[in-house]
Amino acid sequence: MNPRDQRLYLAFLSPVILVLLIFIVAPIVSSLFASLHRIVIGLPQLGDHFVGLENYKELFRDSVARHSFWITVIFVAVTTFFELLIGLFMALLINHRFPGRGMLRACVLIPWAIPTVVSAQMWRFLFNDAYGMINYAVFGADTARYIPWLAIPGTALSAIIMADIWKTSSFAALLILAGLQVIPEELYRAAKVDGAGLWRRFRHITWPLIRPALLISLLFRTIDAFRVFDLAFVMTQGGPADATNVLQLYGYKKMFVEGWMGYGSAISVCIFLIVLILSIIYVRSVGRRLLEASV
Amino acid sequence: MKTFSEKWIFLIAVCLLGFGSPYSFAKEPTTLVFLTWKPNQPEVWHRLVKEFERLNPEVRIKFQVGPHSSTQYHAIVSQRLKNKDTNLDVFFMDVIWPPEFANAGWCKDLTPLFPVQDQEKFLHGPIAANTYKDKIYGVPCFLGAGVFYFRKDLLQKYHFKPPRTWQEMLDQGKMIVEGEKDRTLHIYSGQFKQYEGLVCDMLEFIWSNGGSVIDQKTNLPTLDRPDVIHAISFVRDQIIGKAAPEGVINYEEPESLDLFIQGKAIFHRNWPYAWSIANNPRKSKIAGNVAVGKLPAFAGHDSASVLGGWQFGINRLSRHPREAWRFVQYMSSYQAQKILALEAGLAPTRRSVYYDSDVENRMPHLKAFLPAFKRARPRPLSPVYPMISQELQRFFSQAIVNKDSDIPRLAKNASARIEKLLKLGAMVK
Repeated sequence: MNPRDQRLYLAFLSPVILVLLIFIVAPIVSSLFASLHRIVIGLPQLGDHFVGLENYKELFRDSVARHSFWITVIFVAVTTFFELLIGLFMALLINHRFPGRGMLRACVLIPWAIPTVVSAQMWRFLFNDAYGMINYAVFGADTARYIPWLAIPGTALSAIIMADIWKTSSFAALLILAGLQVIPEELYRAAKVDGAGLWRRFRHITWPLIRPALLISLLFRTIDAFRVFDLAFVMTQGGPADATNVLQLYGYKKMFVEGWMGYGSAISVCIFLIVLILSIIYVRSVGRRLLEASV
Repeated sequence: MKTFSEKWIFLIAVCLLGFGSPYSFAKEPTTLVFLTWKPNQPEVWHRLVKEFERLNPEVRIKFQVGPHSSTQYHAIVSQRLKNKDTNLDVFFMDVIWPPEFANAGWCKDLTPLFPVQDQEKFLHGPIAANTYKDKIYGVPCFLGAGVFYFRKDLLQKYHFKPPRTWQEMLDQGKMIVEGEKDRTLHIYSGQFKQYEGLVCDMLEFIWSNGGSVIDQKTNLPTLDRPDVIHAISFVRDQIIGKAAPEGVINYEEPESLDLFIQGKAIFHRNWPYAWSIANNPRKSKIAGNVAVGKLPAFAGHDSASVLGGWQFGINRLSRHPREAWRFVQYMSSYQAQKILALEAGLAPTRRSVYYDSDVENRMPHLKAFLPAFKRARPRPLSPVYPMISQELQRFFSQAIVNKDSDIPRLAKNASARIEKLLKLGAMVK
């Protein structure tokens, strides 16, 4: 590559680099910077002292943050598992040729296309204790037996998990479908000729070949699930008794409701680090699988 | 070609002069930005503002509408003020914010413009709430206090007087529910979601048992005192899932009011705005059968109401402080408060409006609210109140949600966290 070309490439790349710097690198750096200071917006007299890792030490001692962390982990584990499972079934279904497939493929994507805030509001109505459709479906007109789903800690968290699974399974399905479509039809035909049944065709052809796609959707779903905020914000505001106080919501409250800019930033940075570490692990293993698959 | 373009320029210049001149000689109107939440009756507010603009042709008011929830509105206002936004002149403050805003230097000190003799025309509670370190930072717009609504038809049917104690309320309620043979009828409806309203409802239970959450003298939390624990246990054991449906744990004001106006609750705690909704036949099944009174108390103690309501504040960095003050003055005037009372059902903060003959005739219930308003107690006045509130919300929610919660232990944990916050608040005093 001659140096003039290189300069030209750089010139073409510079708009993208600039955008990335302004909108991605700068906010992360400023969060990191803020997380090393004690800044309380309601108390400007305290100034904004550099406190080193004090916010992080405090965060590890904070029992509410620990609780939020575990709530988030449960949320991530359960939603990701079911989203991949349901997404796999949906993908296998819409991969088959049958009349109306195009229509069904479009329908599957509807939940994913609805903005989360809107679907969260919808689920809030569905789970309502007085006029919610879910109570009506379970108990009919016997209103005295209606269950206040969002008022019981366990069911409130489950409600949010359900809303998320409903919304994003189709995203997983889409990714897995892409994986399914690159599997050559001849493999299945050859297997059929050899007398392989449905299960064996799935086990020995489909499964190994869609594993990279599954891993990629696992990666996307875990990262996305760790950042859950809007569902809890709309459906429960973190209650009852902190049962749905996911980490991002806790950070938001610390920062924007209470005004702890430094501490709230420390929470954001921790979420960023968790997601970063997960991504590195996944990307490395996905990368290796991809290599194995192509060998 | 040259002459052609010159002709055009000449023409355009004439047009500009012709259309522009009447305005270019008059003074450019000043635009004030007023950040509100979406009011229940926006048309009343717009009419008031139009009238102000008619009286002050050199000032224009630009509405900016923020979120309805107090906590979310706070997030927006505090962010903008913190970022030294000079494009914000007048804003609302919830009754719990003035100490925080004053301490942060966000709102203008109004003491020179709003002297004591003018302050005395207002009810004492909201004036005290707007005062921080002997200076006043806001002008009360309308007032709120926890009031007790009940079904007068049902109480009459069973020959009951309005209950004075919480126990009496439960006893009456049990008799009525049994008599009505309605499994969907509940005794009580209130606000117990983990949000600011939970603090209000719980403080009323605690105060009406002689308790408090912070000792003003020692500046220490008092959550583990027996009277506090007793009041909270009462709510957990007798109210949630018993007198009130378990769903109240996720109720804010609108949901709890729905239950009441659907005729599914006998007693209801809410703010004054609920009166006109509960008596509106198009919205309410119990219109005409509603009465108000003071909240019950525990035996041997006095009833207590939490002070609520909204104030006008002026941005300290506003570029038009004189016009902003004129606007605030107008919006909190006798006339404006009268219109807000008559047409939007908002409780005035000026004493004299309660004795206005139109208000007395058309809104007789406002007089009935007055004792509750005069008695209403502020939530802890502190620049760190938003933080204290988050801890109180967490504590109350944990205490009432699980039937077997260890309240003394939870109280000890919450106290430790609140004590730290109070120390932080004391550092700036």
